[in-house]
Amino acid sequence: MNEDTCYTLPLGPQHPALIEPEYLKIHLDGETIVNVDINLGYMHRGIEKALQQRTYQQDQFLIEKICGICSSIHTLTYCNAIEKLLEVDIPERAKYIRMIVAELERLHSHMLWVGIAGYEIGFDTVFHMSWRDRELVMELLENISGKRVGYSMNTIGGVRRDISKDMAENIRTIMDKIDIRLNHYINVFVKDSTITKRTKNTGILTQKDAIKYSAVGPVARASGISCDLRKKAPYLLYDNVDFKEITHNTNDVESRAVVRLKELLESTKIIRQCLHLMQKGELTIKIPDTVPEGETISHGEAPRGEIFYYARSDGTDKPYRIKIRTPTLSNIHSLQAMLKGQQLADLPIIVASIDPCFSCTDRITLLNTRTGMSKSVDATYLKTLKR
Amino acid sequence: MTSMLFEILIYPGIIFILIASIIYSGIMRKLAARMQSRIGPPIYQVFYDLIKLIGKENIRPKQAKPGFTLFPAIALASVLIAGLLIPIHTKIIYFTGDYIAIIYFLLFSSAAIFLAGYASSNNLAIVGSIRGIVMIFAYELPFIISVLVPILAFNLNSIQSFDTWLIAYYPLAALSMFISILAKVEIPPFHIPNAHQELVDGYSIEFTGKRLALIELTTMVKTFVLILLMITLYLGGAQNIFILIIKSLSVLFALTISRVLFARLRIEQALRFYWILALIVAIDLIRVL
Repeated sequence: MNEDTCYTLPLGPQHPALIEPEYLKIHLDGETIVNVDINLGYMHRGIEKALQQRTYQQDQFLIEKICGICSSIHTLTYCNAIEKLLEVDIPERAKYIRMIVAELERLHSHMLWVGIAGYEIGFDTVFHMSWRDRELVMELLENISGKRVGYSMNTIGGVRRDISKDMAENIRTIMDKIDIRLNHYINVFVKDSTITKRTKNTGILTQKDAIKYSAVGPVARASGISCDLRKKAPYLLYDNVDFKEITHNTNDVESRAVVRLKELLESTKIIRQCLHLMQKGELTIKIPDTVPEGETISHGEAPRGEIFYYARSDGTDKPYRIKIRTPTLSNIHSLQAMLKGQQLADLPIIVASIDPCFSCTDRITLLNTRTGMSKSVDATYLKTLKR
Repeated sequence: MTSMLFEILIYPGIIFILIASIIYSGIMRKLAARMQSRIGPPIYQVFYDLIKLIGKENIRPKQAKPGFTLFPAIALASVLIAGLLIPIHTKIIYFTGDYIAIIYFLLFSSAAIFLAGYASSNNLAIVGSIRGIVMIFAYELPFIISVLVPILAFNLNSIQSFDTWLIAYYPLAALSMFISILAKVEIPPFHIPNAHQELVDGYSIEFTGKRLALIELTTMVKTFVLILLMITLYLGGAQNIFILIIKSLSVLFALTISRVLFARLRIEQALRFYWILALIVAIDLIRVL
């Protein structure tokens, strides 16, 4: 491809297709995408440094703010890591409640994605309908935790709030309602002709490419890779409940939609089983303020894929280092494989199909894959970005 | 003379068309909202929006080419002239071959908007304008054929209101006209030039204030004028204002259903669709020739 005939279109940092600031530089030939440069780093918040300056208890609330949508899985993985360092085992009931909240979070996150996917292909009705149904889950979460976003349910050593009998009954009835709606959306995404015209055979990510670009979560599962951590490396009590890992092998945007929606049917199954298996018992155990010296890793299956925490303690009440890797960082590079040769009109839905969450992703190190150079963001670099 | 001036300026002329098209735009927003299970804005919200836009500062980007101000005004003017040429229940202005003028002015209002987008020299606006021009090549042929079918069938010199429901005699042409309206006023699935998601509203991205108000008003008026044209040619005309309101609201309802029911097509899918449509509507054209 001759570079001179190319036309560069900026996507971002401010763009309606991206909810968060991120810069994709698109090289176009007519309406065909020739190449994409991905520029991260517009939402760097220095959260890992901030974590080191606060105590373990304070960190729980800061970690919740990493992502507005998957806030519970972040605290869950963090608490798991710290509990590993403390070498304590939390009560069973707390584990089940953590699982219920995590699955409810997956429900509302994926339903949000369904709406976004509809919006990105110019189908506003899907957006409004799925967000209306998502409201059921949000109300449940508010009922359980008192908040719609950032539930503060998980704490080191257990959970903060209990799920009462009335709440459990409420959850069961709403899960039945949600199941009906989910089956409807699966039908819509598989059968509606204007949707399949846009989603079938767009944004192909072959299994080989998915492995090469280290895709995780629903993106990888839509390319036929089995990578659900709830099955592969069960944490909490996921090996006690019965559910299927959903994979699909058409590799396109439709495949990602189907994987996400079918996964939710499994989530409602998990929630029902957790409610059934939950025994009466303690919610928390006492834990000390200081954490013994050591290091550990912990991971969990966030709605967007594998989430990874590394924690190192130096024996004080503040962590020495906490490193977080969010799923979008793994997934965003597969965009290069997905976007090449596609039409400009398909760009928003393809970018949305990895369910990007850029603010969680932005970290301090920049890597240039062509030259192999890495550098840190400092004041001079930020000044060069300024026009 | 006074009555003609009244007809041109007030009813069924410019003021009526302007106010009706703004109200219809509000009704469409409300209907779409109810179909999407939202509450939606009040019907008069569009008036507020336009008044707000008129009160705003006029910003002209540095890189804007000549025509940035002129083309939006031309777009609104030409679509209003097309509206005047359509005989609602009286013929206001008429001359031999005025149906060609209607086709021309409707086309030119679209073209003027895309030229305005091109004159704003913004990358996204230019892509939007190019898409718009490509779309003109797609929908204009079936639209022209569907306007010509009734005229050729009755061997007329100028357009007139048909009292019979020609949709029963030429259903393919009527259908093609309806589908062309969707593309002409950028209703889903054909809202390709102003795709919000990839082009940030395409051609209108650099426009603010009064110029944006002109562009938005052009789309509203075009919707209303095309509905009038549809009624005049295929839906048995409007003998008085009540019939006009009932018929135009039903066409608006059909347009709204299309708006909430479809996702946006890609441009090459839309092109293929319209060229097949042109082939189909040609059957009706052959029948009348």
